[in-house]
Amino acid sequence: MNSRSDAEVIGRSLDQPEAFGLIYDRHAATVLRFLGRRAGAEVAEGLVGELFRIAFERRKTFDTSRASALPWLYGIGSNLLMKHRRGEARRLRASARMAAADEAVDRRASAGALDARLLFPRVADAIEALPDGEREALLLFAWEDLSYQSVAEALELPIGTVRSRLNRARAHLRELLEPGGESRVRSR
Amino acid sequence: MKPVDLARKLRREAAFEPAALDRGKAVLMAAIRREVEPTRGPAIVPQIPYEDVRAALSFLERAFGFREIPTARLVTADGGIDHAMLAFGGSVIGIGPQGHHGTVSPKNGGIESQYISVYVDDVDAHYQRAVAAGARIANGLRDYAWGDRPYEAHRTYEALDLEGHRWRFHQLLREVPQSKRRSRPGED
Repeated sequence: MNSRSDAEVIGRSLDQPEAFGLIYDRHAATVLRFLGRRAGAEVAEGLVGELFRIAFERRKTFDTSRASALPWLYGIGSNLLMKHRRGEARRLRASARMAAADEAVDRRASAGALDARLLFPRVADAIEALPDGEREALLLFAWEDLSYQSVAEALELPIGTVRSRLNRARAHLRELLEPGGESRVRSR
Repeated sequence: MKPVDLARKLRREAAFEPAALDRGKAVLMAAIRREVEPTRGPAIVPQIPYEDVRAALSFLERAFGFREIPTARLVTADGGIDHAMLAFGGSVIGIGPQGHHGTVSPKNGGIESQYISVYVDDVDAHYQRAVAAGARIANGLRDYAWGDRPYEAHRTYEALDLEGHRWRFHQLLREVPQSKRRSRPGED
């Protein structure tokens, strides 16, 4: 029905604020899922309206050379999630336990199951141990399937910085998941 | 497994309530409405006629603590005040020359066809201020167990301004339960 780009819609919403409702209709479900993966359903449901309210009030600052508003919305969401780090960490640990249990059922065999029970909690700890900037870039890339360019737009960073952050995050994870790496996770 | 793939294993969807997106949209639309209807003032604005608008304006500020809204003042070609608005406690009144819109000041009409109730935080202090500024007191301070609004006890006084408009100042004292409410003497 409406083929205008997000940039056009946001541009129009400067004079006609109601037009911004379309940005919600296009992206709210995606953004809600993102917030939910990170902080759980309850927090996400409380944040999604707030996120779009903030976006609406900052719409003058949206860079209209970008066709899609989604990376910009992710960026606002990332900032909002900063206040929910504890809940995020809890959810990540729970996800690790569930992933380990799933893996055990999948494989049935004992060797792999044992690995999974040990491995996934360590992955959760390793993600938690990443510096904020690296963790944010990694999760936008790995969980939200954003391109480097989109992660750069979300975090308002040059694409080169995103690339180096993701490389550092990979290296950190690899290092922390190596045998003996666990002690380094704990000591952080 | 590669670090990013391991991180992906911990990605877990949250289960949302069906109305979550609707509630979020309501938050956004409320923000949009606030901008579309920025600062619509009170629904009812008394417009009060004076023979000497400038003197009335000064008196209302000094005696009653009203504050002119400077941007709202309209001036005639000869420098007189054609209309001014004064704010108090979230409400506003307009004042202007008698004769406009069929109005007449009590000073010339000889009647007070209405009075205006004003709710203040400290009616005793307000009374002292009005008296000091030369307001004529029509009815001194007194407590009532009924009010213009049901359920409320209040303390009031009535003052006449420079041209004889009657103002009734109220301080709400407490809620009166409906069962205890008395009617005005002489009424049922």
